[in-house]
Amino acid sequence: MSNHDQCPSTLKGEKKRPGKAELAAVARSAGTVNGMNVWRSPEEMTDAPQFRDWLEREFPAGASELERRDTGESRRDFLKIMGASIALAGAATIPGCRRPEHKILPYSREVPEEIIPGKPLFYATSFPRPDGGAEGLLIETHEGRPTKIEGNPIHPTNRGRCTTWALASILGLYDPERPKDPIYNNPVKGKVTASWADFRTWASTHFGKYSENGGEGLAFLVSKQAGIARDAARDAIKRQWPNARWVPYRGFDNESAAAGLAMAFGRPVREVFNFGKDTTRVVVSLDRDFLSHEPGEVINARGFSASRQVITTSDPMSRLYVIETGFGVTGAQADHRLRLSPSRVTAFAVGLAKFILPKLGDANGATLAAAIDAVGGDDAGIDRGFLEECAKDLLLPENRGKSVICVGQSQPAAVHALAAAMNAALGNIGNSVFYTDLPADEAVSSRDGIRQLAADMDAGRVTTLVVAGVNPVFDAPADVNFLEAYGKVAATICLNANLTETAAISTWSLPGAHYLESWGDARSVDGTLSPVQPMIAPLYAGAMSEIELLAAIRQFAQPESRVDGFELVLDAWRAGVASGAIPGSSNFDKFWRRALHDGFVAGTTIAPSAGRTGVRFDEVARAAASLAISAAPSADKLDLVFRIGHIGDGGMANYPWLQELPEAGTRTVWDNPILLSPKTAKALGVTPEGYSDKKPEGVYTDPTYPTARMAEIRVGERLVKGPVWILPGMADDTAILTVGYGRRNGGVVCDGVGFDVYPLLTSDMAAASAAGATLAKAAGTYMIASTQNHWTMDNRESIVRAVDLAVWKKYGDEIVPGGPSLYQEPEMLKLGERLGELAHTPPNDSIYKNPYNKSIREAEPESVFAKGPQWAMTIDQQVCTGCGACTIACQSENNIPVVGKIETAKGREMTWIRVDRYFTGDDINEPAAMLHQPVACVHCENAPCETVCPVNATVHGPEGLNYMTYNRCIGTRYCANNCPYKVRRYNFFDYGVTKFNGPYYGKDIIEAVTPARGGITGSSTHNEVNPNLIPPRLRAKLEEITRMRKNPDVTVRSRGVMEKCSYCVQRINAAKIETKLSKLDHIPDGYFESACQQACPSNAITFGDMLDPSSKVTAMRDHARSYLLLGYLNTRPRTSHMVRVMNPNPALLNLTAAGKARVESWAHPFHGGGHGGHEGDAHDRTGGGHAFRIDNTKKAQDKGYAMSLTVLGGGSMA
Amino acid sequence: MSAIFPKWTNILPTVVAIAVVGGLSSVVAGFWYWATPEFWEVGYMPKQPGGGFNHQIHAGKLGMDCRYCHTNVEKSPEANIPVVASCYGCHADQRLAVLNNSQTHRAKTNFIREAYATDASIEWTRVHKLPDYVRNFPHHAHVNAGVSCYSCHGRIDTMPVVYQAQSLSMGWCLECHRAPEDVLVPQDKVTQLQWVQDHLEERSKRSSPELMQGQMLVDALTGAPPQNCGACHY
Repeated sequence: MSNHDQCPSTLKGEKKRPGKAELAAVARSAGTVNGMNVWRSPEEMTDAPQFRDWLEREFPAGASELERRDTGESRRDFLKIMGASIALAGAATIPGCRRPEHKILPYSREVPEEIIPGKPLFYATSFPRPDGGAEGLLIETHEGRPTKIEGNPIHPTNRGRCTTWALASILGLYDPERPKDPIYNNPVKGKVTASWADFRTWASTHFGKYSENGGEGLAFLVSKQAGIARDAARDAIKRQWPNARWVPYRGFDNESAAAGLAMAFGRPVREVFNFGKDTTRVVVSLDRDFLSHEPGEVINARGFSASRQVITTSDPMSRLYVIETGFGVTGAQADHRLRLSPSRVTAFAVGLAKFILPKLGDANGATLAAAIDAVGGDDAGIDRGFLEECAKDLLLPENRGKSVICVGQSQPAAVHALAAAMNAALGNIGNSVFYTDLPADEAVSSRDGIRQLAADMDAGRVTTLVVAGVNPVFDAPADVNFLEAYGKVAATICLNANLTETAAISTWSLPGAHYLESWGDARSVDGTLSPVQPMIAPLYAGAMSEIELLAAIRQFAQPESRVDGFELVLDAWRAGVASGAIPGSSNFDKFWRRALHDGFVAGTTIAPSAGRTGVRFDEVARAAASLAISAAPSADKLDLVFRIGHIGDGGMANYPWLQELPEAGTRTVWDNPILLSPKTAKALGVTPEGYSDKKPEGVYTDPTYPTARMAEIRVGERLVKGPVWILPGMADDTAILTVGYGRRNGGVVCDGVGFDVYPLLTSDMAAASAAGATLAKAAGTYMIASTQNHWTMDNRESIVRAVDLAVWKKYGDEIVPGGPSLYQEPEMLKLGERLGELAHTPPNDSIYKNPYNKSIREAEPESVFAKGPQWAMTIDQQVCTGCGACTIACQSENNIPVVGKIETAKGREMTWIRVDRYFTGDDINEPAAMLHQPVACVHCENAPCETVCPVNATVHGPEGLNYMTYNRCIGTRYCANNCPYKVRRYNFFDYGVTKFNGPYYGKDIIEAVTPARGGITGSSTHNEVNPNLIPPRLRAKLEEITRMRKNPDVTVRSRGVMEKCSYCVQRINAAKIETKLSKLDHIPDGYFESACQQACPSNAITFGDMLDPSSKVTAMRDHARSYLLLGYLNTRPRTSHMVRVMNPNPALLNLTAAGKARVESWAHPFHGGGHGGHEGDAHDRTGGGHAFRIDNTKKAQDKGYAMSLTVLGGGSMA
Repeated sequence: MSAIFPKWTNILPTVVAIAVVGGLSSVVAGFWYWATPEFWEVGYMPKQPGGGFNHQIHAGKLGMDCRYCHTNVEKSPEANIPVVASCYGCHADQRLAVLNNSQTHRAKTNFIREAYATDASIEWTRVHKLPDYVRNFPHHAHVNAGVSCYSCHGRIDTMPVVYQAQSLSMGWCLECHRAPEDVLVPQDKVTQLQWVQDHLEERSKRSSPELMQGQMLVDALTGAPPQNCGACHY
C-alpha cells in the first residue's frame, strides 16, 4: 500500500536493503491518508532538493543568515551600512548605569468604580461585522484599556467563541495612523489640520441652506449596518430632509444572494443555517464558503462541527459535498469535492434541481422542475455520477429535512433562488436552514445605490455628500467612475476610524470612533440584538461614531437635537421598547442594565421554526427558466471568481495580524496573487519560475523567495496586472482574485501590499464572478511569501491522520497490542495510534528513565507528574476548519509580533500556533482532499529541547509545562534545532518593538549604498534590498500607542530570545491564585481556557488537567481517535491530536477505480496491509519477515536474552 | 659570565603569581560585592513628591494599618498606591484642624489638596520594581498565604522616606520559596511589622517553638511555594 513502510515484516521475506533514495523518501513523507500520499506543496510532492532545506533545518538557510545569497549583498555593503549606522548612533548616549525612574500615578478624586489596578475587567459589547451581522464579545480591559477580544460566553451567537476578524479588530483602535483631527481640504491652501470647532462653524453655515429645499442635493453614503439606533438616525435624517439621498453601501457585497432570496420569498431575507447533530445529515455547498468570512461564520462553524463530531462509533455524522472553484476553508472539510468553474457550478445547480425536484412528489417542485427543464447549457465538465449520487443522498428519506443546499457569492441570483426552492421542497426550511428578515438598510442593493448616486453626482445633482464608515473611492464598482464623480461634488465629508482613500480626497476628513469607543447596537444573523458599548473614551478627543455624526449634522439645522451617542442609543431603545420592537420590560432601566451586562437582549434570537417560509415557486421558476448558462471556460476565455481573504473587502487591510495570517489554500501572506490551477498556469506559461510537476527534477525556484510571474488579466476593456500563483485542486481555466489588497491610502501596513482587483468588478455583474477573461504573461517577476513549506516535520509515516467513517465504525472500539517492545509489554493501542508507527514498530526507548513518567499515559507513582494539575491539550482535526482564529487569539494574548513579508518568506514568522495544510493524492491538479492540522508546542514530557539548552532556559515544570524563561535565553537556538515539531520561534530582531512594514531611519544611506535597489515592497525589483541588513536600531520603532494593546501579563520578548507556546501559563497561574484565594483545593475543569481554545469557533481545542478523571481533556486524550504526534519518538507530548474522520458516500466512491480501492481498504485500513492490527500481534509470528520467533516468556525472565534481541533481531531484519 | 637577568628578578615569578591571584580574587570579590543587587538596589531611595509619604509617622506613630491605604493588596497582584482621595480623606482643609493649622504642615501637604482639587494624579516614584520579565509579583497570593509586608519591604513603619530594604534578586526570592517555614506568619499578623520582626528573629534561632508554628503554617497551605521558572517568568 505504501512504499514508506519501515516495517521489515512487510518486505515479504526478502532481505532487501532499502536504497538511498528510498530511505530519503521514507524520511520526508508526511504520511498517507486513506492510502493516498500526503504533501503540503509542489516541492514536497516532487521532492525538490530545496524542500529538504526546510525539512532538515530548524530554520531554513535564509532565516539564520544575514546575507541574501542570490542578490549578493556583500559583506562590504554591510560594513558600509554599519559604518553609517554607527555614525548615526554616535549622538545617542549610552544608557547609563543609573536605575531608570518609574512613576506610579494613582487615580485622583474620581476613582472609577470596580477597577482594581492589576486585575482585568471584562465588559460585554458586540462587533458589527463589516459584512453584516454582529458578534457578541467580551473585552478584557486593564485599567480601562482594552487589550484582548474574546467571545461572549452567554451570547447566543458566539457562545464564547469568535472569529479572526473580531479578534483582530482591536488593531483598528490602536492603529497609530488613525486620523486624529479633522482635516479640511482648503481649495486654496490645500489640506490643513482643523479642529472640531472649525468643522462646526463651517457645517452650521453649510447645512443651513438645505432647510428650505428639504435636503435636495444632500446625500448620505453610509455603511450597510442595521441597528435600532442607526435606523433611528436614518429616520430622523429623512424626516428633516425628505429629499436627501440615503445610500447604504458595502464594498464587496453579497448581492446575488440577497436578490435571489428576495426573488424566492418576495421579501428581503437572509439565509441562516441551523447545523447540528440532529438537524444536519447532508450539506451541498455550491461554491459557498460558509465556514469563513461570512456574517454567520461562528454559528456555522459551531453547528457544522457538532454535526461532524463523532465521539462514539455509533454517532451519526453529516456528509459534505462541495462543488467549488478553489479550495476554501469549507472545501477542506468536504467528504466529496468537485472542482468546477463558476459557470459549471451554475450548470451543476440546475442539473441537481432537474434531478431531485421531480422525484420529491411535491407539486410545486414538479412545476419548477418542468420550468427549468428547458434551461439549456451544456453540462461539459460536470461529473454526472457525482451529481446523481449527491442528489440521491439528498433524496434519501432519512435525510429529508436534514440537508442543506447552499450557494456562494459566485453564483447569480437565480441559483440562490433555486437553492431556496430545493431547500423548501426537501423540507429543510425551518429545520436545517431558516430565513430571517433582512433589516431595511441591509436589504438595499449596494451596487444599484452607488450607481444611481454616482450618476447623480456626475450630473451635479448632489452638492454635499456625507460618507460615513465606507470607502467607495477604493471599492466602488469600476464602471460607476466614483472617483471622477466624487470630484464633482462641491462639499464632501468623510468620517472613518482609519485611513481611507476616500478621506484623502474629501473636503472634510473627520476622525471616526472605533466600535470599542462608541455607543450603538447591532443585530446578529440570527436576529439577536446586542448593544455596542464603549470600553474607553475616544483616544482622540472629538472622534464621532456614525450615528453621532448623523445627529451632529442634523443639529446644525435643528440645534436642540441630541448628539451624544449614549443618549441617541438610549432614546432609540426606549422608543423601541415602547413600540414593542424590542421585547423589553416595563422597567426600562433594569432592562437596559441587564442588556448591557449580558451583551444581548434575551428573546430576540429567532428560532429556526420562526423563520420565513413560503417560497414562491412560480417566481423561482420564472427566474430559473431565464438562466443563461455560459459555456465552459477555456484557456483563452477564463472564468473569474472574486473572493475575500483575511482582510475582508479591504477595510481591515491595515491590521498586520490579518495580513500575516496565511490564506487557507495557498498559505501566502501579505499578498493576493491571481490563483490558477497548475494545469492552466502551465498552459498559459505563467507557472512560478522553475516550476515543474515531474519527478524527480521538480523544482519550484528557491522556496524561500519563490518567484511568481506577472500577468495581465483582462475582462473586456478592464485590465489588472498581478503575479500568478498556483493552487492545487482549482478548477481549470478559472482564476481566483482576492479583493481588498493594493490599498493606496490605507496606512503603512497595507499601502502597496498586493494589487487592487476592484478595477475588474463592475456594477452590472450578476455575481462575484465573470466569464470571458483573458490572461497573458506580462513582463517582470514578483516575490511571493508562502508558509506552506515552513516548519515541515520530518517523519516516517503519519503526521496528519484521517480515516473514513466505515473504518471508525468498525475499529473505533478495538484496542489491540502495539508493536513489540523489548523492555515492556506492548502498549495497548486504540485506533488513532494504530494508524501510525506504534502499530508495528516499538516505541523508541531511552536509556535514561525519566523519574516522572512510567508510560506514555501514566505517571510514575508519587512522582511530580502524579500530583496536582497536569496540563494537557487535545486538538481535534475532525472539526478544525483551519480558519486561523487560534493563531490570531494566541497572537493577541501572548504579544506575538508581526514580522512582515520578507521575514516571513525566510521562515521567521513568530506565530506560536500554526495551522499546517496538507493535500492528499498523487495529482497536483486534483488532490483528493485538503487537511488542516494546528500545531503548537506539544509540551513533551521527554522534551528534546530541554536537554540541549546550555543555560537551562527551557526546563520542565512540575505540572508538565515546558517552560521558556526568556531572561535566561542566550539564543543558541539549539532547542529549535532539536525540536521535531518545529514549534520554536526565534526573535532574529527586535520584532516586538520595531516596525515590520514601515520606514526605517537612514533609508537614504542604504539607497546610496545600493543604488537602483530601492523599495521594500511593490516594485518589480521587489525586496531586493534585504532590510534586515539594516541594524534594528535604525528601524523605526513602533508607535507608543501600539503598546497599549499589549497584554500586561506577558513579557514582550526582545532580540535574540527563543519563544514558543506556553500553554497560556499566565492564565494557569492566575487561575491557580484565584482558586487558592477562594479556598478551592484544585482548579475546576473549565475554570479557564487557553487563548486558542477560547477562540476556536468549532470547539476543536480542549485544554485541562489530565489527572482529573472527569475532565474533558482526559476523555479526549483517552479517546480512540486521539494520537500523539510523532509519539514514536518517545517525546510523550502533552498535546494529542485527534484523527479526522471523513464520511464519503460509498455509492459515489464505487464509481471510480480509486474510489473502489478506497472502499476495499476499509477492510484493512492499517498501515502495511493490516498487520500489527486487529488480527493480533503479527510480529510474534514466524514467517512474517523475522527469521525466528521471539519468546516472550523467556524475554521476561532472561534479561540477557532480551538485550540480545536487539542484535539478533537487527541481524535478521537487515 | 654575567647574569642576563639581575638578581632581583628572582622574586618576579612570586610577585607575578601573587599579583595574578590577588588580582583575580579582588575582581571576583569586587564583582561579588559591587555587581549584585544587594549593593545596587538596597537602599534605593528616590525623591518623592512632597518629600515623600512619611511611613514612620503614618504607619509607625499613628499606627495606621498598611491596608488602610494599600487597599487591594489582598485582592490584586498589585499592592496599589492609594488614590489621592484617600490622602485627602484626612488632609482635607476641614479635617485634622490641629495639623492643618500648622503652616509648615500645610505647606508640606499642599500638593495633595491641589491634586485633589484639579483631579490630577500625584507622580510617585516607584521604589520596588521587579524586571519586566518577572510577571506581576502577586501581592494577593503572598499576603493571603501569610507572607508579611516586612519580609520584602522591611520596617516600612520606621522609614520617613521609603527605601528599598531587600535586594529583590531571584536568589533572595528563592530563599523564602525554599524555606517558607522561616517567614510565614499568621495571616492576621502580616501587617504588624514590629511583631513580625520580633517573631521571625526569635524563629531564626531555630530551636524556638515559633519554628514549629512556621511549619504548621506551611502545612496549612494548599501547595508549597513554587520554585519552578514558570511560576514567575512568562
